[in-house]
Amino acid sequence: MDRRNNRRDAEGISVVTANRLLDGRIVWLGADGQWKTVIQDAEPYANSAIEDVLQRCNARAQQEALVGIYGVQVTRTVSGLQPVTSRERIRAAGPSVHPDFTPDWPTHQPALHA
Amino acid sequence: MPHVMTQPALPVGHYAYDSVDRTFLKQRVAQFKDQVERRLSGALTEEEFKPLRLMNGLYLQLHAYMLRVAIPYGVLDAAQMRTLAHIARTYDRDYGHFTTRQNIQFNWIRLEDTPEILTVLAEADMHAIQTSGNCIRNVTADQFAGAAADEVLDPRVYAEILRQWSTLHPEFTFLPRKFKIAISGSKQDRVAARFHDIGLIAREGENGRPVFEVFVGGGLGRTPAIGTRLRDDLPEEDLIAYLEAILRVYNAHGRRDNIYKARIKILVQALGAEEFFNQVNAEFSAMDRARYRLPEATVEAIRARFGTPDFAPAGDAAEKLNAQRKADQVFDAWVATNTHAHKQPGYCSVTVSCKPTGGIPGDVTSAQMDLLADLAERYSFGELRITHLQNVVLGHVRQDALYEVWQALAQNGLGTANIGFMTDIIACPGLDYCALANARSIPIAQKLSARFGSADLQRKIGPLRLNISGCINACGHHHAGHIGILGVDKRGEEAFQITLGGSSGGEDASIGQILGSAMSEDETVDAIARIIDTYLSRRTAGERFIETCRRLGTAPFKDAAYAPA
Amino acid sequence: MPLLENGQIIQDTWQIAVEDTPLPAGDVLVPLARLSEGLGRNEEARLGVVLNSADEIEALREALPRLDLVVLSFPVFRDGRPFTQARALREHLHFKGEIRAGGHILPDQYEFLLRCGVTTVSLPEGVDLSVWQHAHEAFTVAYQPSILNEQPEGFAFRRRLA
Repeated sequence: MDRRNNRRDAEGISVVTANRLLDGRIVWLGADGQWKTVIQDAEPYANSAIEDVLQRCNARAQQEALVGIYGVQVTRTVSGLQPVTSRERIRAAGPSVHPDFTPDWPTHQPALHA
Repeated sequence: MPHVMTQPALPVGHYAYDSVDRTFLKQRVAQFKDQVERRLSGALTEEEFKPLRLMNGLYLQLHAYMLRVAIPYGVLDAAQMRTLAHIARTYDRDYGHFTTRQNIQFNWIRLEDTPEILTVLAEADMHAIQTSGNCIRNVTADQFAGAAADEVLDPRVYAEILRQWSTLHPEFTFLPRKFKIAISGSKQDRVAARFHDIGLIAREGENGRPVFEVFVGGGLGRTPAIGTRLRDDLPEEDLIAYLEAILRVYNAHGRRDNIYKARIKILVQALGAEEFFNQVNAEFSAMDRARYRLPEATVEAIRARFGTPDFAPAGDAAEKLNAQRKADQVFDAWVATNTHAHKQPGYCSVTVSCKPTGGIPGDVTSAQMDLLADLAERYSFGELRITHLQNVVLGHVRQDALYEVWQALAQNGLGTANIGFMTDIIACPGLDYCALANARSIPIAQKLSARFGSADLQRKIGPLRLNISGCINACGHHHAGHIGILGVDKRGEEAFQITLGGSSGGEDASIGQILGSAMSEDETVDAIARIIDTYLSRRTAGERFIETCRRLGTAPFKDAAYAPA
Repeated sequence: MPLLENGQIIQDTWQIAVEDTPLPAGDVLVPLARLSEGLGRNEEARLGVVLNSADEIEALREALPRLDLVVLSFPVFRDGRPFTQARALREHLHFKGEIRAGGHILPDQYEFLLRCGVTTVSLPEGVDLSVWQHAHEAFTVAYQPSILNEQPEGFAFRRRLA
């Protein structure tokens, strides 16, 4: 993975993200240890603690069918957790050129699978 | 209807598969299915699986998997286009994106659907083989091949020979880095042959068989370079042997310690052109040449699998077209920009713009794909081409059918008259989709397209190539644009650099020069508007943008770009 | 380590030279740097050489008639240089002996190795042989000539894989 995505300040908070192996969908690690599809459900960790969390997640990556696990630095804003880089904001929200393609977009539309 | 076309037995413009080719494709799909299963079981690690899925065109992008489907030398038939539309509707979000390598990408693919998608593709004689990975990629060719009035010979037969030869090549599937080949058979280089790992320009040789000019080590990316001419008149029968020799030298000696220095251009630069040439010749002399000889009979056997258009006499088609142009100014403007001279009297090639004003360059919906398939069937012998400028070409349209074609296109958002103009923008997917990008390419393209969208303004500005890349990998060919835009990362925020004076074609191929420091998206759009104003006020009569740039140098444009608001 | 040859696991009888230790008796594999030492042995036993992926095949030209085995090493499966080394051994130097591939290799590369002239592959202990056999049978057609000189399949460069 691109190292650049995993860099963060000494201070601050980060959330843990990955892609699901089977459908590629972006997921975020929640407080309950489950992987969520929207960043607002993610659990923020202090940057000082994040390497340990990442290590634990990576150890389970194969059995949980996840790839590309890394930490994303965020800030708390009035609208919730917000990544600090534009790249991660776009990744969390969906492509800016298709506002309808939010993370809630149905990944499968069985009606079309005739 | 001036005429109804009967479809020939063989597809026009591309190689017709036989049972052997279909058996191979089925086996390739089964192999990939097996690789996916081994990945899920843990028998393959992600590190091991990644190059295998890439060799089948499957990337993990910013939001999801992206599947890049091969369109060999950019040519496909109507049924294949409908298959792409079906895939967009069924497995993606109802659209696809045409790429600068004449392929198509789907942005929202699920790994678990991919074996099924590949099966659907294989049923239409299509695949995603070697659309990514460190192997020989889709061979690109002139989008007006087999049609252009200035063509010397049709390069697609050779592109197909190279496609077959490079498919699962036992020696060259784990190269230091990706390897791109382009081939042209016209005097005017429309494939950017000098910006490829290998660029081939075919012409007729003295014995009536083709010979090839061979360029090596060109490319864009982090280290833009114009290719070195290795051979001026490589005989047809040595084409495969010579390419084997080049690839062997590269596979053995290309750098593998740094992916940014792994392309063949770096090896050519490190060795020097002469030493590289000597090493290729040493390999060429030592190899078993008989094994790799390309006999005339083989070329003709492949050629026989290509359908050719059965042109009906066009009668008074040209006069009818003239009358229609006089009667409708908007149509006239479209014909002026979006058609290309055909070698057959009464016919022309149509370039369908996939760059509507304010739109996303290269994106087409499934409905538009279906329409293009219908139009190809009715008006162009069932044949379609994707261009490296991310447009679609109907190769052989009778001139008296143009009006109907244009009306159907215009009603479906495909009638923009801007080919070769400023809003005919090349743009990579950028940070909206791409995991490697530093900045978004599409929104700035949309802003520029909207700002310069007026037909009168574009016509006044004249021919201008505007290319946008979201990072230094240069998928949007920014160095080769008359105006190039490069997205950079400024401490986590998007910013853009402007380059000026690049050109992709022929003898005057050049690499754009960076004007200065990066700006925000809106500042960049304004700076480009001032660059255009500078051109309009400083140009001499009939002088094109690139010519003014070369005459004046970058200084006055730089002053304009960075002028205080 | 198990050795794969023609779909069978065979016994590996070769010994590998140990660094800073005199060469043992019997069939021995030496690195390129110890080739002359190997050639200088007064023994009936066979000699083989282990190449790194960066080594030049040309360095073996003189010694090759006295070698029975050349081992090509993949430091990682993405390093494709051994494919070119194998093909050069067969095509440039007309080597008729065993070419063995070792190191990090995927079953998906097996057919490519064979078509470049490799004859045996060192596999990790406990490997599932059926995956390798399956990889060997995955394709019945190839699109280019190889040093195996397979029969043509229809027209052009297509070849029928056994």
